Amino acid sequence: MPEKLKVLVLDDEPIVGKRLKPALSKIGCEVEVFEEPKSALTRIEEKEFDIVVTDIRMDEIDGMEVLDYVAKRWPRTKVVMITGYAMMALAREAMEKGAFDFIAKPFKPDDLRRVIAKAAKALGRPIDFDTDSK
Amino acid sequence: MSSIIIASDSPETGRRIADETAKFLGYTYMDPEDVLSAVATKRNLDKDKLKKVLDTLPSSFGRTSRVWRQWLAFIQEATLGRLMEDQMVCHGLAAHLYVMGVSHILKVRIITSEMERLQILASQRDISADKAKKIMKRMEKQRHQWCLQAFQMDETDPSRYDLVISLNQITAKEAVKTIAGVIKYKKFKPMTYSIKCLEDLELESRVRASIIKDHPEASVTARDKTITVKVKTLKRERKKKTAAIKELVGGIDGVDYVEVHFINDIVRQAAESFR
Repeated sequence: MPEKLKVLVLDDEPIVGKRLKPALSKIGCEVEVFEEPKSALTRIEEKEFDIVVTDIRMDEIDGMEVLDYVAKRWPRTKVVMITGYAMMALAREAMEKGAFDFIAKPFKPDDLRRVIAKAAKALGRPIDFDTDSK
Repeated sequence: MSSIIIASDSPETGRRIADETAKFLGYTYMDPEDVLSAVATKRNLDKDKLKKVLDTLPSSFGRTSRVWRQWLAFIQEATLGRLMEDQMVCHGLAAHLYVMGVSHILKVRIITSEMERLQILASQRDISADKAKKIMKRMEKQRHQWCLQAFQMDETDPSRYDLVISLNQITAKEAVKTIAGVIKYKKFKPMTYSIKCLEDLELESRVRASIIKDHPEASVTARDKTITVKVKTLKRERKKKTAAIKELVGGIDGVDYVEVHFINDIVRQAAESFR
């Protein structure tokens, strides 16, 4: 049996992790959810995740810092940025810093599943989800 | 994949750079002639007259400003439809004025020397340099007014572009290489958000094109397949107008839900109260 895709979800709104965990588990991901950026970074320091999904606007540490941290610590990890404050400048900044994708909130679970499937494909570990429909 | 929109103070130079950039990158050059032909065929319009919409003010267009706006909306719809394809280079369709906030589309302005523009104009019309200068000033003023009337924008404002290149100091060939280099930046890579932004703009333009004849004053916004139409009307007409707009828009491909918002038409309301 292939190893599950390890995904970390970080969002300070509890409802986001609560909704995304089952949505991603459905497509064979092993999901860890965090609401505190500091605890998420501690976990990232000790474990290499395949994909990190992070909110951008959070207290203390923002998503861009998380992106920088992941890029330095685990360059292979794909980082997906999610935000309720999407703007072109922010999206471009995230992509320039190496984000794999950028999604505006609110989004449907399928939107994120599609991005996760694309990231999995880019990692050479395709999962069973239709990525060509978009 | 990313796309490029090129605007220039010289249509000839803009077209040449757009064409050469497309060839250099292996992208598709979106020929304005093809787009206009497609619109003319689809809408059963005279292509030459349609073309005039892009550089003629409603006052000298020969038709009402309402028709001018309609035809402009048709061109917008067709251009945005083509921009949904990958790796396009677009020029000559005023797309730099209505494609906003799409991060994977690089917007470039090419500035040419006044001398070069004068030479082109003088040779095209077989006139003296002095006369060409006067005509050019008039054309610049007219173009400025066109941009304001069509999109309430000043196209010479550099902050509207990602890249501004002056051909006073570098060659056209170097400009093409510069554009080709910039489009490779990671920030211009398409992402879920930017693709959605373009999809929203495209859907918005299709909806506007569909309702503009019956509801010329309506403003349309699209977000995630939900359409919001804002329209000026009298209170007693709301029900009828909502039904008419929902019927028109509801059947458009890609539309999931339609909301109609109203702005009280105080001018008509006041006029009626004096009757």
